[in-house]
Amino acid sequence: MTLLEVNDLTVKFYTQEGVVTAVDDLSYSIERGEKFGVVGESGAGKSVTALSLMRLIDSPGRIESGEILFKGENLLEMDESEMQRIRGNEVAMVFQDAQTALNPVYPVGEQIAEAIRHHLDYDDQEARERTIQLLDKVGIPEAEARYDDYPHEFSGGMQQRAIIAMALSCDPDLLLCDEPTTALDVTIEAQILDELKALADDFDTAIQLITHDLGVVAQVCDRVMVMYAGTPVEKAPVEELYYDPKHPYTVGLMSSIPRVGDDRERLQTIPGTMPDLVELPPGCSFHPRCPYAEECCARKEPALLDPETGVAATSDTEHAAACLEYTGDLTGGLDYEVTVDDAATEDEPQYAGRDHNV
Amino acid sequence: MRRIYESGAIRRDEGPFSPSEKDTERRIEAMRSINSTKLSRLILPNGLSRRAISIDVSTPRDEYPLDAAIPFRVTMRNSMPFPITIPTRSPLLWTWDVDGVTDASHVPLHDPPDEPDSLVFDRGERKQFTKQWQQLFRVSDSEWEPAEPGEYTIGAELNVENAVEKGLRGETTVRLDPDTEA
Repeated sequence: MTLLEVNDLTVKFYTQEGVVTAVDDLSYSIERGEKFGVVGESGAGKSVTALSLMRLIDSPGRIESGEILFKGENLLEMDESEMQRIRGNEVAMVFQDAQTALNPVYPVGEQIAEAIRHHLDYDDQEARERTIQLLDKVGIPEAEARYDDYPHEFSGGMQQRAIIAMALSCDPDLLLCDEPTTALDVTIEAQILDELKALADDFDTAIQLITHDLGVVAQVCDRVMVMYAGTPVEKAPVEELYYDPKHPYTVGLMSSIPRVGDDRERLQTIPGTMPDLVELPPGCSFHPRCPYAEECCARKEPALLDPETGVAATSDTEHAAACLEYTGDLTGGLDYEVTVDDAATEDEPQYAGRDHNV
Repeated sequence: MRRIYESGAIRRDEGPFSPSEKDTERRIEAMRSINSTKLSRLILPNGLSRRAISIDVSTPRDEYPLDAAIPFRVTMRNSMPFPITIPTRSPLLWTWDVDGVTDASHVPLHDPPDEPDSLVFDRGERKQFTKQWQQLFRVSDSEWEPAEPGEYTIGAELNVENAVEKGLRGETTVRLDPDTEA
């Protein structure tokens, strides 16, 4: 059953330099209990998408069009009090930087208990007990003693866990995790991801995991959406995305992951940077960086299509990509190759194509 | 081993100028600074505000070969030694166009909310924005067509009623010539 359905969401920021189109005509859906990944470089519109779902876009940003259906109700048409009932209760968010997300002048436990008291009508003692249980669940040692600690007394990993505990405090149906492990070292990252997965399974919570780390996506998610310059360029189940990527940007992202035992001298990268969102290049936004770009790529913007049939993708399309290859406009084709070297890399796919560094 | 207490790093501020007692003798000085932007908005007539602002559009060259991106710079300048506020029709503060085609697009790209906003210039402030025209016109939501060789006017104007009459528009002319060297 569909828990969240985002249809044609457009978010713009009106600045002096011009209009920043942070999210452009974005549509996707998340099922109940599903783990959905959103990947892309900085500036791709991942965080703005999540903030829009919580209606936390501040001026000069505006949700210009579209609808966000959560359990069939449009969040964009709700008044602020209705939204407050849902925010933190049915839809919760794990923010990117735990240190700034926590209020430095209140004890950590109190900040979690506040949400529980507000949304679940628990009294002080009950809220305290539930908070201690949650802190214990996310792996904070001596949770009872740490309840009254201030954020600065927690390590980075513990702060992140506290934020996760806060997000899970009211048993949300949807958890938006905005780069929950970016500020952490890899060992803590692995622990937190395992915890998130286990907790989501326990509570049957759907997760929208925003990250720029494809390894994290592979570990946690069921389906993935790759975003570039505010638009989705590929949507696929996680296995298909890794073993059969259809968009050159996804291939570029995959081939730029460093691998143990790789004998190439230089790490393959995608040349250039994300375009200025005030002034997107004409045609496909990725064409200035694409090794397979042809003249038509600068003249025509591809829609999300089913790569097998070339017809426009719908919400039921499993695998969709936005590339002119699938409309038949590219003459040279996409000549990359994905090889799976079972012995050397334990089932890890390798990506060989035209060098992105040219 | 040198201890932190001996290093002076945590020395208390006990110099002669450090405040040790609250000085209650002085009266509170209300309005020590005023919001000059707000004040100028209130007292300046709109005509004077508009005359204070000039807009200029420039390109590095006058002629370009076909298919080359044309960079242009929009310079807005407040010539007055006090802040100027120009009220605009929407949060879209200014626009650029090629031969009158906004954003070089035949389909509207933005649908700004119908709320007035304003563009604020500091005293003597010069705002510069650099843009590029790719010699393409957007003809539909997903298609672009190249511009024919010839002369084109690149303009920029503030989002106000009758910007041309009010002097809040600037423009320049470029020539697209297939024989021009890149």
